[in-house]
Amino acid sequence: MNAFDLLLYLALATLLPSLLAPKGRSGGMLTTLAYLLQVWLLFSLLPSVSQGGSVAACLEFAAFGHTIGWQLNGFGWFFALITAVSALIASAYATGGWERQCDHASRLHSLMALNVLAMYLLLGAADLISLFIGWELVSWAGFLLMAAPGGQSVQAALRYLIYALAGALALLTAIVLIEQSSGTIQLDALRGALASLPDGLSWVVLALVFVGFGVKLAMPPFHLWQAPAYGYADGPAAAFLGAISSRMGLFGLCLVLVQMVGLERLVGLALPFSFFDAQSLLAWAAAITLIVPTYIALTQNDARLLLAWHGIGQGGFMLLGLMLGNDLGTAGGLLHVLNHASYQAPLFLAVTAVVYRTGTADLDRLGGLIARMPWAYVTLLLGIIGLAGLPPMNGFVSKWLIYKGLLDAQMPLLFVAAVIGTLGTILSVYKLIHNIFLGQLRAEHREVTDAPWGMTGPMLLIAGFAFISGMLPGLGLYLVEPAAAALGLPMPSFDLSAIHAPNGALDMLVVVSALIGAIGFGALLFLNAGRSYRTQPLDNYAGGHFLTAQTRYQYSHHFYAGLLRVIGPWMRPWLVALEQGSGHFLDLASAASRGLYYHNGLRFLVFGTVVGLLWLLIVV
Amino acid sequence: MSIALQLLLMPLAAFLVGLAMVLMMRKVRASVERRIGPPWYQPLFDIYKLFAKDTQISHGVMHDVAIMMVLGGIICVVLFLPVPGMSGLSAKGDLITLLYLMMVPSLGMALGVGQTANPNGSIGIARALTAMAGYEIPFFICVAGAALHYGTTDLNQILTIQQHGGHLEHWGIVQMPLLAVAALFAVHAMLGKEPFEIYVAPAEIATGPMVEMSGKYLGTLFVMQCFQLFTVSVLYTTLFLGGGFSWFTLLLKAFAVVFISVLVTNVYPRYRTDDVLRWQWKWPTGIALLGLGMVMLQIGR
Amino acid sequence: MPDYPIYRDPPEQCRTPDAEERSLWGRTLERIADHCRARSLFVLHYCTGCGAIELPPSMTSRFDLERVGMQPMVTPRQADLLLITGYLSVKTLKRVILTYEQMQGPKYVMGFGSCTINGGMYWNSYATVKRLDQYLPVDMYIAGCMPRPEAIQQAFLQLMEKIDSGRAQNWKEYYRRYDHYLGEQQALFGEQFHTPTDVIGEARHYSLFGPETLGEHTAKLAKYDLYHPGQGAVDALEVKR
Repeated sequence: MNAFDLLLYLALATLLPSLLAPKGRSGGMLTTLAYLLQVWLLFSLLPSVSQGGSVAACLEFAAFGHTIGWQLNGFGWFFALITAVSALIASAYATGGWERQCDHASRLHSLMALNVLAMYLLLGAADLISLFIGWELVSWAGFLLMAAPGGQSVQAALRYLIYALAGALALLTAIVLIEQSSGTIQLDALRGALASLPDGLSWVVLALVFVGFGVKLAMPPFHLWQAPAYGYADGPAAAFLGAISSRMGLFGLCLVLVQMVGLERLVGLALPFSFFDAQSLLAWAAAITLIVPTYIALTQNDARLLLAWHGIGQGGFMLLGLMLGNDLGTAGGLLHVLNHASYQAPLFLAVTAVVYRTGTADLDRLGGLIARMPWAYVTLLLGIIGLAGLPPMNGFVSKWLIYKGLLDAQMPLLFVAAVIGTLGTILSVYKLIHNIFLGQLRAEHREVTDAPWGMTGPMLLIAGFAFISGMLPGLGLYLVEPAAAALGLPMPSFDLSAIHAPNGALDMLVVVSALIGAIGFGALLFLNAGRSYRTQPLDNYAGGHFLTAQTRYQYSHHFYAGLLRVIGPWMRPWLVALEQGSGHFLDLASAASRGLYYHNGLRFLVFGTVVGLLWLLIVV
Repeated sequence: MSIALQLLLMPLAAFLVGLAMVLMMRKVRASVERRIGPPWYQPLFDIYKLFAKDTQISHGVMHDVAIMMVLGGIICVVLFLPVPGMSGLSAKGDLITLLYLMMVPSLGMALGVGQTANPNGSIGIARALTAMAGYEIPFFICVAGAALHYGTTDLNQILTIQQHGGHLEHWGIVQMPLLAVAALFAVHAMLGKEPFEIYVAPAEIATGPMVEMSGKYLGTLFVMQCFQLFTVSVLYTTLFLGGGFSWFTLLLKAFAVVFISVLVTNVYPRYRTDDVLRWQWKWPTGIALLGLGMVMLQIGR
Repeated sequence: MPDYPIYRDPPEQCRTPDAEERSLWGRTLERIADHCRARSLFVLHYCTGCGAIELPPSMTSRFDLERVGMQPMVTPRQADLLLITGYLSVKTLKRVILTYEQMQGPKYVMGFGSCTINGGMYWNSYATVKRLDQYLPVDMYIAGCMPRPEAIQQAFLQLMEKIDSGRAQNWKEYYRRYDHYLGEQQALFGEQFHTPTDVIGEARHYSLFGPETLGEHTAKLAKYDLYHPGQGAVDALEVKR
């Protein structure tokens, strides 16, 4: 029995504590401990998965003349590590105090453990069937976790389920096509095997895979489900889902596109009557994933939905980097998976802490909480700097790698698209932090305090990691290396603090030290320049008006009015209308057929037979 | 020159040049309005007076920290911008790093203004960020074009390529005239001058972000303005005007960039927020996209 | 005429200067600062009356106040000099007091025209404030109805000379004799009058406390608990105005 087996058994065992001890905090503590062990096990696997190696599990069975098994390589290991750490943080946060306000804490713990197990099974798949098994498990476990709080989250989760089922059907078709054309289902044997498929079949496989995995990544036009499904989930679950869950789609997409088809083949697949080939088409799909959800996030009034929409947008960044195929793009795309998890989790956790104390995530009903919840503010601040991709946080490093990769690949328009996405992110995250923490404190929040340390600790810890790994990007790149090796993609030369490139390098240690040093100088000047008196917020300029607690002296609603006046007409929810319309159409059609059936069975039979024969005629 | 000395001298030089630029702005404005304008020491006196205020209001820790971030961030930017004789830290962070570092003081200011709890300030920041979305898009198109043309994002290499041979023909503005024009429009908006001065708008939102700033808080923003004028004009010079062989030529070009901006400023009123966006996304962006197309044709793709 | 206790001159006070003030370095810095203050006055116009019309010619190309470093500012936080340009009604005086308290020291007040000195042509009005310096320490008055731009500039130059020589310290009197000023304000506006600005707290913070900072009038503020921000302050401000 090797460490991967142990990991799977441990993941299975992690389900137990919260099932066996549904009351009290011992279940949560044991679960957290189990995640800690999983992280340790994963680190012990690192030597065997680096340099393109892999570890096979003893779990295997035979079906349809194929051996179905599990085998973890560097690529899967990278995602598995992020999964385990996200689950660890989310579980510690829930156990640390959040679950006191929750009546289904043990269900939350066991469902999260189920998700982690399902993800391991997906990430460790050795063939297409085990991949599909893992994929379906991830979908179902994800559905259960999303639906756990009940109410509007069930609606959102059901919507996800419909999308996921459509995606799974597409995926199954793709798997059948791949198996038919190449004769094998073993992932190792399929490496580069799809490069020789004829153009037409390649496009079909690509389209099916794009639908199958793109649904999980919520790439437009399949983006509608994700934000409510993640946003309305329980806080720790939202952090876990937002940090890693939709990256499973990225994992699958890369597995097929990069490993089986190969990026050279994608470049060679020209779309007839256009300038596009498959690679640039996918890169543009990624760019659209980056831009559209980001600007939808800008218009959100619920902090959780805002963050969830950004999660979709950042997924576009990762795919964009990975589609480039050059060293900087690869490193950036993969590093962004890690970095995104490390700031998205604290963002969700900080917002959850605010909800825990104030009971609302409505951005129009908060404000001024910085004086009451300073630690939540610090966490959110570190998180948004990372999300916006500004120095000194780690989000900047991965975005820098992607920008550089795009310029090196001579794709300036995609570079501009990435910048447009980043600008939208900066706008929207400022709205987030401003409307929650800055401005006037509302009278009803005067007595609020920071969340208990059991909650504040984990979120600060992971936000601190986001800062440290921004200063020393080598930490993250070291973990990325096995993944790139397993995919067969190049990596740039780097050391602990710097990324070397002949035409423009980045040394984050120098950048961060310069920034901190300069801010220190600024602090010196500031603190020596005379004293200031800290006043209360209502002592404020209002054109001579006397402010009272009744005066709503706050600007938060419709924050970017000028911008939305320009881009608003482009953002009409026509896709939502289409989705609802097709839903209503299906309702109507099923009602009509049911009516026909009950009204006159014989006529229904005749009608059905005629339609069936017609279909056969067309097909044959 | 040793690196430690450079790290001291670069911000100092930037500050002094920035003071002169502020003075030039006020003098030019006075000339356009047929006034005499302030004496030469005026920008320095304003800053000294503000830092010497006896009482000043702080609205909380973030308000204070923001001022440190503004000052520190803008000084840090200057360290990554090579000037004649001093390359500072520019080998450790490239053009993209510089552009993103330039957003750090703005972010700091936005956070500090948020804590002053004044809606005028919040509206100012909302407008400033909106204006940023307006001018950064054409500017980044220009940056992408320039980076493709030079084949590098290292500012020192960009300078070397342009100064090769010592003639005009390698300058960015000769090689990429459309991008240079578009970037000039974007730079004008970046400096926050009329008609793009939507986020200060004294008569509308009481100077927006500055509304609750007193004493050293306001003084720091004055200092930031000096640094910003220097950074933006020198960056433009570096990208499109061949940088400077010596301080003399560099300052000549940098002052020319600011001068053009100031001349335009004084004859315009203020646009509405959405009109700023429409204008920036129509003219500079259109010109920049054409310029980018030309660069793509040149490099043969 | 109501029987107001009329405030004439601040009493001479012997204050022991602190160590920083005595040191040569501190005195040099303060001397430079005074010079800069005189040459860089940021002006806040409180344009209630007709005097405002005399400011544009002073500011623009005819006389150009920027030559002596004066600039208009829009919020009290940024400004050094408060111009009260004309008559004050009881209602506007409240706003003037709030605005003045929100300015940061050293700050100077200049009364324009005879209305601010003695009510001027509104002497008989029930709603007009007669003497500005009952309620705020005033640094300079300009007589006339209205004063011409030349007179305004003369006053500015005199004020600058006063600041440069370090004699324009009236703003400290507001802190030292806050009880007196608050009393005058309460006599006019009623006993419940208070502003959101914590004058006493500031006086304590900047060592500007004087013998008359606290007194019978400031005692009435205690019930608003304005000076413990975060505890009672917000409740205190819920008083309808």
